[in-house]
Amino acid sequence: MANFDIQLTVNGRQVSQSVSPHLRLLDFLREELHWTGSKEGCGAGECGSCSVFVDGVLMKSCLMPVAKAQDTIIETIEGLEEQGKLNVLQQAFQKTGASQCGYCIPGMMMAATAALRANPHAGREEIKERLGGNICRCTGYQKIFEATELARDVMNGTLPDDLLKQENDEGPFIGSNSFRIDTSSKVTGSLKYAGDMVMPQMLHMQVLRSPYPHAEILEINTSAAEAMAGVEAVVTCNDVPGIDGFGVFTDDQPVLARGKVRYVGEAIAAVAAEDLVTAKEALKKIKVRYQQLPVITKPEDAIKTGATVIHEDVPDNIVMHIPIRKGNVDKVMAESDHVIEDTYYTQPVEHAYLEPEAGLAYLDADGTLVIQSPSQNITHHRHKLAKILDLPINRVRMIMSAVGGGFGGKEDMHYQGIMALAVLKCRRPIRYVFTREESIIASAKRHPFIIKYQLGLSRDGHIQASRIHMLSDAGAYNCSSEGVMRKAAILAAGPYAIENLIVDAIGVYTNNTPSGAMRTFGAMQSQFATECHLDLCAEKLKMDPVELRLMNFLKEGDETHTRQKLGSVSMLEVFNSALELADWEAGISNSRGSTRSDLGNPGNRPPCTLGAREFPQETVSAGQSA
Amino acid sequence: MFYCDQYHVPQTLEEAFDLIQTNKGSYKVLAGATDLLPWAREGRGGDVNFESVIDISKITDMSEWQLQGDRISLGANVTIQQLLEDPFLRKHIPVMAKSAVWFADDQIREQATLGGNLVNASPAADATPPMLAMNAELTLQRKYKGKINQRKLSLDEFVKGPGKTNLEDGELVTSVECDSMPGYGSAFEKVGHRRSLVISTVCLAALVSLSDNGRQFEDVRLALGGVGPVPVRLHESESCLISKPVETELINKSADLAVKNVQSRTRQEYRREVVFNFVKRGIIEAMKDIETNYAEVDKNIKPRKNYG
Amino acid sequence: MNAPLRKSVRQKRGRGVAACWYGIARTATIDRAGAWAELDDGGTAKIITGVTEIGEGILTVLAQIAADELGIKPQDVTIGDNDTARSPEAAHAGATRQTYMIGNAVALACREARKRLIKELAQEWEISEDDIVCSNGMISTLDKTRCITISEAVELCKNRGVVPVGSGSFTANHTGLDPQNGSGSPWQAYVYGAQVAEVDVDTETGEVQVLGVWAAHDVGRAVNPQGVEGQIEGGVVMAVGQTLMEDYKQVDGYPSTMNLAKYILPTSLDVPEVSSVIIEDPDPLSPLGVKGIGEPSMIPTAPAIINAIYDAVGVRIHSLPATPEKVLAALREKRDSADSVEKSAKSI
Repeated sequence: MANFDIQLTVNGRQVSQSVSPHLRLLDFLREELHWTGSKEGCGAGECGSCSVFVDGVLMKSCLMPVAKAQDTIIETIEGLEEQGKLNVLQQAFQKTGASQCGYCIPGMMMAATAALRANPHAGREEIKERLGGNICRCTGYQKIFEATELARDVMNGTLPDDLLKQENDEGPFIGSNSFRIDTSSKVTGSLKYAGDMVMPQMLHMQVLRSPYPHAEILEINTSAAEAMAGVEAVVTCNDVPGIDGFGVFTDDQPVLARGKVRYVGEAIAAVAAEDLVTAKEALKKIKVRYQQLPVITKPEDAIKTGATVIHEDVPDNIVMHIPIRKGNVDKVMAESDHVIEDTYYTQPVEHAYLEPEAGLAYLDADGTLVIQSPSQNITHHRHKLAKILDLPINRVRMIMSAVGGGFGGKEDMHYQGIMALAVLKCRRPIRYVFTREESIIASAKRHPFIIKYQLGLSRDGHIQASRIHMLSDAGAYNCSSEGVMRKAAILAAGPYAIENLIVDAIGVYTNNTPSGAMRTFGAMQSQFATECHLDLCAEKLKMDPVELRLMNFLKEGDETHTRQKLGSVSMLEVFNSALELADWEAGISNSRGSTRSDLGNPGNRPPCTLGAREFPQETVSAGQSA
Repeated sequence: MFYCDQYHVPQTLEEAFDLIQTNKGSYKVLAGATDLLPWAREGRGGDVNFESVIDISKITDMSEWQLQGDRISLGANVTIQQLLEDPFLRKHIPVMAKSAVWFADDQIREQATLGGNLVNASPAADATPPMLAMNAELTLQRKYKGKINQRKLSLDEFVKGPGKTNLEDGELVTSVECDSMPGYGSAFEKVGHRRSLVISTVCLAALVSLSDNGRQFEDVRLALGGVGPVPVRLHESESCLISKPVETELINKSADLAVKNVQSRTRQEYRREVVFNFVKRGIIEAMKDIETNYAEVDKNIKPRKNYG
Repeated sequence: MNAPLRKSVRQKRGRGVAACWYGIARTATIDRAGAWAELDDGGTAKIITGVTEIGEGILTVLAQIAADELGIKPQDVTIGDNDTARSPEAAHAGATRQTYMIGNAVALACREARKRLIKELAQEWEISEDDIVCSNGMISTLDKTRCITISEAVELCKNRGVVPVGSGSFTANHTGLDPQNGSGSPWQAYVYGAQVAEVDVDTETGEVQVLGVWAAHDVGRAVNPQGVEGQIEGGVVMAVGQTLMEDYKQVDGYPSTMNLAKYILPTSLDVPEVSSVIIEDPDPLSPLGVKGIGEPSMIPTAPAIINAIYDAVGVRIHSLPATPEKVLAALREKRDSADSVEKSAKSI
């Protein structure tokens, strides 16, 4: 009920409105006033993408009930521009390439602005601390620091402002640091992501998700929800007109749970209603009866004989097993001077893109279904949707909206199908925005791996045989597991010339959150084991870990583990370049740490100790950053 | 999500009490909202609906502080950022600044209040251990039959358990009194898995004053957080050192005595080792801090002489 | 010029190194991407392909490639949105494939469009097509005796009834793997990387800070070096998170880290200084020679950090993340076993 009268100034404009008192300042800015520059990345004050100025003080607007903004002056990212021109800080962000996906950028710009307002001469350590409440997942922050320092120096007059201009205006452009063409839309907050989009007559969607890791669905009763005023559509798997099932390699995942649920957070039903509150209330009215089933949480348990079957058509729970075999490992390993074994473990990892999933779906004037979402593979998704909805492929249109970070986590079509069903049912536009919590539990994770590693080496350090066994929890659905196992297997043994190899990568179903595509697709996990193991071998052989690698690196014309003949191989040049850049001191692997002479290279930052606002005195002279 | 039907912003304590009266049984008091909104979400408190929210953060009486002899009275609405940045507070209750810098980030600190943090009573709270070390006492007020009743509770009497306090229905924490300790050296040690926006696994507040010749402990205050259901004052570790010489062996003993306070359900071995290390380190860092403070000591307070 | 070190027993420093390799574009299956190009009015160009920016900088890379192919500037290039109803298929945004697959497809499309334009101009000027070049917004004969703006050339072309459009399709000839022994050619372009990490370990709490990372990566050909650096810096930091603090947990199948307070990410205070060097070993099988950086940038980091922890304090952490608890427990175990060795040595 809109019973709270609020008066405030936003970006120089007086606003007077009656609002629902539960709205946060962030909701008020975005939904009531349509200043969508400030973003909701987490809703819990952790990420800073909602940062705005309230009476000149930087605050997280997702933590402020709107009433707290009564009679205040609010500045958002949209207020930074000067007469349609980028201000100095915005230009500096453009110059250093500080913006990538752009989702954190509005909040980050506000934090950088706050830092320089608090101390126009802030050094890097102070800048870092003042930016400590804003998370970026794409850039690693470095160019953001550089941009803030550049802006500081230009504003203080210690650097000329034509340093903000593009270096090369003349071509050739390949090889030059051309300004990113998407930066200005990001530093002004004007770029619309899916969650910023609105359409007349738009409904809001909420999804009912499984509270159990493994359960049969005995009954779903949606009648009470459907009868609610303001509810336009309620959908379940029964609303699928075509052939249900989506995935990247196999179509093993239903759009909405069919017959059973296989992980906590699996989508069961969805509601489209006039507003979010009604949609949430309607969800509570959907009655589901479950019969819980035995739960498998470890891949080792999934492959035991007699283990509970998670997908009926995969009775052994093995999603994919990729083998690589070369030479004669058993014989050569037995003959090696050294056989060194160990086991390595990597964890499931969340992509944590700053932009939680969102989508806007509607019917075109000619009845074509359109879905705007940050999907990383609209071609593939369209195929699946056409089959699921039993529509000709050109009556399904997928538009890839600007993505606020993907990293593989937006490759799965885990909500677009649900939106499609609802739109087809009620014939009105629908927007669905995930909360951070929903995004975390529903979307796929990086595959965790258990890697048993065995290397056989000669006395002088040649790798003669390699046996790598990798078991991975693929979670409740395939997603990209097949491909991840494949890539992990192919790259596992590393860029080394090895004649005898046994590599196995096995992905298995469990009732955990599905594992799916994530940046490196299995290669990070397998090579983590390899590179740690090589250092262990260097220690045992009393060798320099650099020498051990140099001795075994692949070279031009060598054959890979999958027997492919390589062309040019830059491994040696790359390796030596890294060592040279770091001023690496040679030596054997004996934890010589503090006795090294190459520590404290200028490419280090100081260890952080969070002094209580006692920043090191830094004198910043022209052209020098702290 | 957080929902409410009415949102009230009283400007005075009287108004606040009147609202409490009118909305008996269906109100929720909030100050900074920095704990409430993150809590009212899936996986934690879930959807919560209050009929009446009474936001006390604008009651100016509760935003001030004053020196009262050797105690300081802080209004419950003093923000964590003020504890970090205000020069007067940094001088008189220096350990708060050291703990405040670890508290979330600048933006949250501007909104989060001391009172709110203490009432929230999280076992991992950063503000509680230093307050405990400074003999904090809370003033609680309630309006009953037209009159304001007041009572005081020491902080350790106030906090009962995780998220549980002895705040009674209709009561508000209006101020917090603690020792004024200019000239003490202080330290705050914290572990987290990263540097900003961290929830403590273990934290320690330490305050130390030395004899004029610097060879003896005059006063030592130690309090631990993140090791059990409530933060603890380390009385044994303190008495082991007070009026005793500054000696490594005694400092080690003091640290050792602290270890048994680890009552957490998880990660016990880790916390014990860290507690030991923190107490040692906290005492030493606090001693080093006295040197730094030395130059800032108020003219009215007798400065410490050189250390022999 | 190494800065003086803090002498401290509590904090210990160390360094580690790791190498990596990676394959570009889709694994063990033929890969493809298509693109359209049009030399447009006013010396500008339209590029339509299956791409929307996800932050890696692909739009800018494509604009730079198109600019060089067509002789215009990146700001003159407009790139259309990725839309199944409006753009040709360029397949997915992943597998470090976009610069390679789409960059090359765009180059091919631009070449066709440029060829169309040059053909008309050659006929108009009655000279050979080989005699015409485009650069800096101008189109001219090799000896510069005849020179007009590209804008004028496009007008001329259109007046002759031809719209200078082009299309391109780029193929990467990967093969599948043998199901028994895995043999095959999963990629036609490989990249190599290496990183050094320097860490600071607090032996009293087990906390590890990564202070510096020095990275070298082969990208084939760097279209936008600053963009490559940005991907390296971002990849390294993502890896730092996974190495030290990120852990998605489930208990009996129930997620317990479902918000960003429990699932913690590196903040500005946690990141190392990252220094990068870009190596260019161009791909001989494609028109541009570019390869990629998006994923390989984060492969060597974790093992370099783990190896650095060993260098600093002599313990090997086998499981990620290397939390303070694990590090402290490993240090304790090492201390205890050293004590017991000492004791048994004494008792002999």
